[in-house]
Parts: sequence; C-alpha cells; structure tokens
Amino acid sequence: MGNITKSKSLWSHAWSSLTADRMALISMVIIGTYTLIAVLGGLDLIASDWAKEVGPSYAAPSWDNLLGTDIFGRSVVAKVIKGTEIAMSIGLFTAIVSTVIGVFLGSIAGYYGGKVDEVIVWFYTTFASIPGIMKLVAISFILGKGLFAIYLALGLSNWVHLCRLVRGEVIRHKDREYVQAATAIGGGNFRKLFKHILPNVFHIVIIQFSLQFQTAIKSEVILSYLGLGAQSVPSWGTMINDSKLELARDVWWQLSAATAAMLIVVLAFNILGDALRDALDPKLKGK
Amino acid sequence: MLKQINTLLVTTIFLFFLLGGCAKKVDPNVKVLNFVISSKVKGMDPVYAADKYSNNEIARVYEGLLEYHYLKRPYTLVPNLAASMPKVSADGLTYTFKIKQGVMFHDDICFPRGKGRELEAADFVYSIKRLADPKLQSLGWWLLDGKIKGLNSWRKKYSSADAADYSEVVEGLQALDKYTLQFKLARPFPQFLYSLAMPFTFAVANEAVTKYGKEFLNHPVGTGPFILPAFEQSNKITYVKNPTFREKLYPSEASEEFKKLGYLADAGKRLPLVDKIVVKTMVESQPRWLNFLKGKLDYISIPKDNFDTAVIPGKGISDKLAKKGIILLITPSLDVTYTSFNFDHKLFQNKKLRQALSLAIDIHKVNKLFYNDTGLPANSVIPPGIAGHIKGFVNKYQGPDLERSKKLLAEAGYKDGKGLPELVYETTASTTARLQGDLFVRRMALIGVKARIQQNTWPEMNKKINNRTAMIWGIAWSADYPDAENFLQLLYGPNRAPGSNKAGYNNPAFNRMFEVASRMQDSPERTAFYERLNLLVAEDSPWIFGVHRQSYVIKHGWLKNYISSDFDSGQAQYLNINLKEKIKKIEVL
Repeated sequence: MGNITKSKSLWSHAWSSLTADRMALISMVIIGTYTLIAVLGGLDLIASDWAKEVGPSYAAPSWDNLLGTDIFGRSVVAKVIKGTEIAMSIGLFTAIVSTVIGVFLGSIAGYYGGKVDEVIVWFYTTFASIPGIMKLVAISFILGKGLFAIYLALGLSNWVHLCRLVRGEVIRHKDREYVQAATAIGGGNFRKLFKHILPNVFHIVIIQFSLQFQTAIKSEVILSYLGLGAQSVPSWGTMINDSKLELARDVWWQLSAATAAMLIVVLAFNILGDALRDALDPKLKGK
Repeated sequence: MLKQINTLLVTTIFLFFLLGGCAKKVDPNVKVLNFVISSKVKGMDPVYAADKYSNNEIARVYEGLLEYHYLKRPYTLVPNLAASMPKVSADGLTYTFKIKQGVMFHDDICFPRGKGRELEAADFVYSIKRLADPKLQSLGWWLLDGKIKGLNSWRKKYSSADAADYSEVVEGLQALDKYTLQFKLARPFPQFLYSLAMPFTFAVANEAVTKYGKEFLNHPVGTGPFILPAFEQSNKITYVKNPTFREKLYPSEASEEFKKLGYLADAGKRLPLVDKIVVKTMVESQPRWLNFLKGKLDYISIPKDNFDTAVIPGKGISDKLAKKGIILLITPSLDVTYTSFNFDHKLFQNKKLRQALSLAIDIHKVNKLFYNDTGLPANSVIPPGIAGHIKGFVNKYQGPDLERSKKLLAEAGYKDGKGLPELVYETTASTTARLQGDLFVRRMALIGVKARIQQNTWPEMNKKINNRTAMIWGIAWSADYPDAENFLQLLYGPNRAPGSNKAGYNNPAFNRMFEVASRMQDSPERTAFYERLNLLVAEDSPWIFGVHRQSYVIKHGWLKNYISSDFDSGQAQYLNINLKEKIKKIEVL
C-alpha cells in the first residue's frame, strides 16, 4: 500500500524537490513575471501606447524614461514590455505546436513500430538534415510574414528532437508489465498508448517543453534580426537590429534592454529545465 | 671588444632605420598627389571602364573628345581633344567634330623609334569601333547601342566571325580627313555628347593595341597629362607627368561659388600642376582614415563610422581636425531619394490623395534621423547642379503640414482615412530602410491612414517593383550623366516598369513635353522646358520627394583646387600641392 502511494506521488514529489531548489524557484518567479507582463500586455493593460513619442530621439536613460528612448523618441521600456508579449506568445505557441507534433508522431512510431516507425523515422531524419535556418526561411516564404507565420515556422521546425526522445521512451515502455496488464484486461491500442504509456513518459515532454520555449524565443530574435520576423511591432530582435545604427553614436540602452530581457528569461527557462529534469527523471532520482 | 663594436654598430644602424622610417619626409622639389581607392582597378583599357575607380585611373592617361568644365556648375561640356564643340545638323542627327592638331600620344616602344605620333580623327573611329567589337565584350556597349548609324549591324556582322574588320566603313562613324570626325546618329539623341566625355569612348592608339595584344590592359598609351610606365596588379599605382603633354591651361573662368573660394589662383597655368600621382588601394575604411590623419593621403570621403568624430552636425568640421588644417567639403550628389506610389492601384491616380500623403511626411525629421541632417530636402525630381533645377522653389506639398494633409485627404474622399485600404510600404530588411518604413507608417497614423511595412530581400523587392505588385516603396536614383533627362525619364509614361518608370506614372501633358525636351540640344529653351516639367511633377506629386544627398569629403589644406564631384575623372591635372604648407603641417600631424 505504501509503495502505491509513493508511486502516485511522482508529481508531488517533483514539486517538493523543485521548490527546495532555490534557483528553480527564482526561475519560476521570473517566468511567472514575464508571463504576467505578456498577459497584461496582450490585454492592452500595459504598454499599449508603446508607439507614442515620449521624448526626443535617442534620449539617454533618465527618471522620465528609465531605459531611454529610441530613434523616434519611443520609450524603450514600453518596447521591451511589448517585446515580452511577442516573445512569450511565440515561445508558448511554438512549444505547443512542436510538442503536439513531436509527441504524436513519436508515440505512434514507438508504439506501432514496423512500417509506421520506418516511415516516421525516415521522415524526421530527412527533415532534420535540412539546416534549421533554411527551413525557417523557406516556411516563412510560403506562409508570408507576421506572427502567425512565425508560430508555425518555428513550431514546424523544432519537433524532431522531442519526437526522437518520445519514440525511444515509448519503445522502452510498451512491453512493460503495466502495459501487458492493460492488454490483459482488454485495453485497446489507443487507450494503452495515451492513457497508460504517455503519462509515464510525460516528464520528458515537460522538460522539452521548457527548453523549446526558450529556443523559440531565441529563434524569434534571430528571425526578426534578419527581417523575417515580427513586422511593425517591437520585438527584441528588431530592437537589437535597430542598435546597429545606434552603437556608433554611443546609444547603448536599446541593445542592452532587449538583450537583458532575453538573457534573463532564456536563462530562467534553462535553469528550470534542468531542475525539472532532476525532479522528474526517474533515473536521476535520489542522486 | 670587436664583438662590442659590432653590437654598437648594429644598434646604430637599427636606430638609424627606425628613426628614418618615422620621419615624415617631404621632398621639397617634387609635387606628389597621394590618393586612395577602395577597390583594385582591373586594368587600364577604356572599353572596360565600367566603374568609378577604373574611370578615374583611365582618365589620367587617356582623353576623350569632350570633358566637363572643371569650374562650372551646372556641369557644362567643353572640348578636350576636340578643337571646338561639334557642328550639329538641323535634324540633330549629324555631329561633325574638328580635332585639335598637334596632340601627341605618349612616347612608347609601340611607335616607330619610341616617339609618340600625332592623334588623328581615325583614332576615334578605331577606339569607338573597339567599344562595339563583339570579340572584346566591352562593358560600355550599352552606351552606344542603337545610337550610331550602321554600328549595330557592323557589330552583328562580326559576332560569329573570328575577328572584326576595322577597315570596313561604318556609315555613322567616319574620319572625313585627318582632323575631321563625323558621327551620324540613328535617331535624335542630344545626350549623345555626354557619352563622348566618358572614358568608354576615349582615344587609344592602334599601334599599342597591336603591339601589346592581350597585355594592352596593362600598357596604357594615351594622350593624357600623366604616364603610367607599366601597370601592375598591385596595391600601388604611380603615375608621372607626361613631358610631351600639349599646352593645356588651367581655366580662367569659373562659377561664382568657385571664384569666391579662390579656385582661380592657378588660372592660366600650364597643366598638369603636379609631377607625380601615387594611388593606393585600401579596402578597409579604418586604414584609409588613419593614413589620412597621418597626412599620407590628401583627401578621403569620411568613413561612416568616423562621421561623428569628423563632423559636428549643423556646425561643420570638428575643432580637433580643423586645428590640423583639415578642410571639410560638402557637395550635393546628383541624386534624389523618394517614396514611390504604384499607379496600377486606382487609388493613387487620385492626385489629392498623393498630395495629402506627401504633406503628412516630415521631411526634416527624415533628414535628421537618416542622413545626419546632411541631405537637402527635395522639392521635385531634378537635383541641384543640373539645369532644370529651380533654386529657391519650394514644393507646396512638402511636409510636414498635418492640417492641410487632413484637409486634402478629406477632399480626396477619404476623410480621416476612412475607405482607404491598408497601405503596404515595401522595404528591404536593412535597419535604415526598415526604420524609414516605420517612420512612414507612423506619419500615416497621424492622419488616420493605416499602413504597415513589409520587409523583403533586395531581389524580392526588385521583383515586386518590376512586376508592379508593390504598392508603395522607398528608393533613390543617381545620375548617369548630368542632364535632367536622366531624371525626368523616370516619370515618362512609355518607360513604365519593367522600364525605368517604376511608378507607372503616365501624364499625357508630361509625356508630350518630355518628348520635345529630350530631343532638344542643350539650350536655354531646353532648360525652360526642363523647369516646366520639374514644376509639373512637383504639383502632380507622383512620388513623395525625399532628399538630395550630399557627399562629405575631408582634405588637407595643402591640396589645392580639389572639388568633390560626381564626374571627377580627369581631375588630377587641375590639382596642386602647396609644398611649403605640406612640409610645415605634416610635422604636427
């Protein structure tokens, strides 16, 4: 009986080990803050007037404009906040798209094996052999430009790693006793796969989700820097691109603000990802 | 003991060289010009002079029939190897030149006894046929393509033969006698004369081409003020004064602006004024900048990264450089930047809408943010320095004037932007281009017009413009030759994209007037036509006019007579060095 309770409490066990880790806790608070900012920004409660001129062109940071102004005299603080909204939404949607594709294909390939597996493995190997940046550019050429295109482009080009991991895990699990037990009491394929196996490999998905999230944020910055990303809305990437003109004039605040905003959230996601792995991966338990 | 002496000797010698290397030595008897170019020159054959750098190098050695008057603005063609300006027949098709007598080619071993022979009219026939020779694949054929009677069929005839026959007479290109040259054009083309001031049509000697063959590229033999004994593919080209150069004098006339600045100090002196030219290749801008500061280069255009060090916006050169005797020259470039509408969209055929949008743009802000306040706001299409530009004219629809803009927008039928579709501003992905688009969008928002930018790669954007799917875009045009025709043709209806009229502007009144003006010879009447066209365009607002950009060049005080110009080939012969000043100044640099 005691054993059963223990195995049931994998998630609560993970939660307690996460909260015991101070760095992980701080990371969660940071990510929570970013999420809050993104939500408030999305609801137009903050930074909705980011396009307004609040001072002269390239005003240095001061009490009026904490992070200074850009070329058109817009507040850099407001742009960073608006950029947070873009970055977080891209992180979230991209991670969802890539997770759905990766988990679905990975579990089917691992569970059914045979021809299904061969086809899927062939597909993702081929897909993965195309350089990432070329995939992104190609997809954004087909879908046009704008946020929706970026969600899809990044989501479609980032699922392979997760797919591989899930496939391997499902293969390891599909002959386990609990699956055999499910078969014995008449469980169908679908039920066995999604009700029994998937919850047991879900820790991988969670860890990968948090890593996908920050990969997407970084990719968006790169895409926007190359002019393929967000159009007409401030994003950290376009802000960094703007600073190409600014550094020669000693205007450092826009570059610093956008870089710091990105650095902090990406670092937080990385630390959280590591902590999640420590907490959730059974192989690492007790170490 | 011996060893010690040796060490001492070595140290002394070493120190001697070290100090010798550091001392800035200026030979007080030899005037040397020190120039820099930022990319290697491929060769010295005029038919391959397709870029600005080879243009300038070739024009030190070779010469053409005409040149631009050194001290006159607007740019004016004057005879160089021609004895006078040509006689043009009444139908504008036949141009007859008399050539200067007694012009000698450089002494070179390709001539009998190594003595250069006299230039003849036949040399131009030969040189221009080389430009058309299909075997040479010259880079300048476009210049005369379809313009000279019989030259196209001559070219075509030999395109599959082993070699072209230069002795075959071409109807439109003949030497009537030793000093008379006649061109017959296939159609009226008054801009033809500008091609005779371009290095593509400069005179080469048949003997040199025959003697050097493929190596002719490296053995320039011309009639020009300087000699290049042998051209090597290195980072340094050294020219010396041509001892047999004809008597050509520094001009005694000048436009007022140059008179005031003392450009006539050398008037009447025999050219060239210096003994030697050293041209170095430096691809990176920082070495150019540092070498200039050390006095090893006489002038440079200011590298972008050093702009703030060199120039104080609105004031001029920085005190630090001014103390060193460095002088800043600001010269309008013959160009115009603009935002173009696509007239395929019915929308933009509404003149009031175009004027309203133009009034919404804050041109002074554009100038400040993107051109360091160095541009001149453009009031119409023709830049200053070209006949047809109207000094002091202010375009009524130049922004910013939001009140009038809103009023016109309402009159156009789009009160507060209602009923207008979202405008799409196409731009490249470069930071400046994108920010310019951003500014456009912001200004449109102020009058209630919705707009967004669309970033493209350069080929993508070009394609959109050429197949007329772009809606609005920002772009610029630089002059090929100093004639308003070169700018006005951008708005001539029949030139619509993929021709040069990308906007697809088609105004019958403009077209008719342009057709007349573009066939006229340079004259006050033609200038009047150009001015009328310029005003018509300003009123019609087919584009939102941007700025005429300016070039920023800094030079040392010892370099005299230097002018920054869009057409500066052949300039070196007019330049002078004040050696006393240089010797004094270079010590303190």
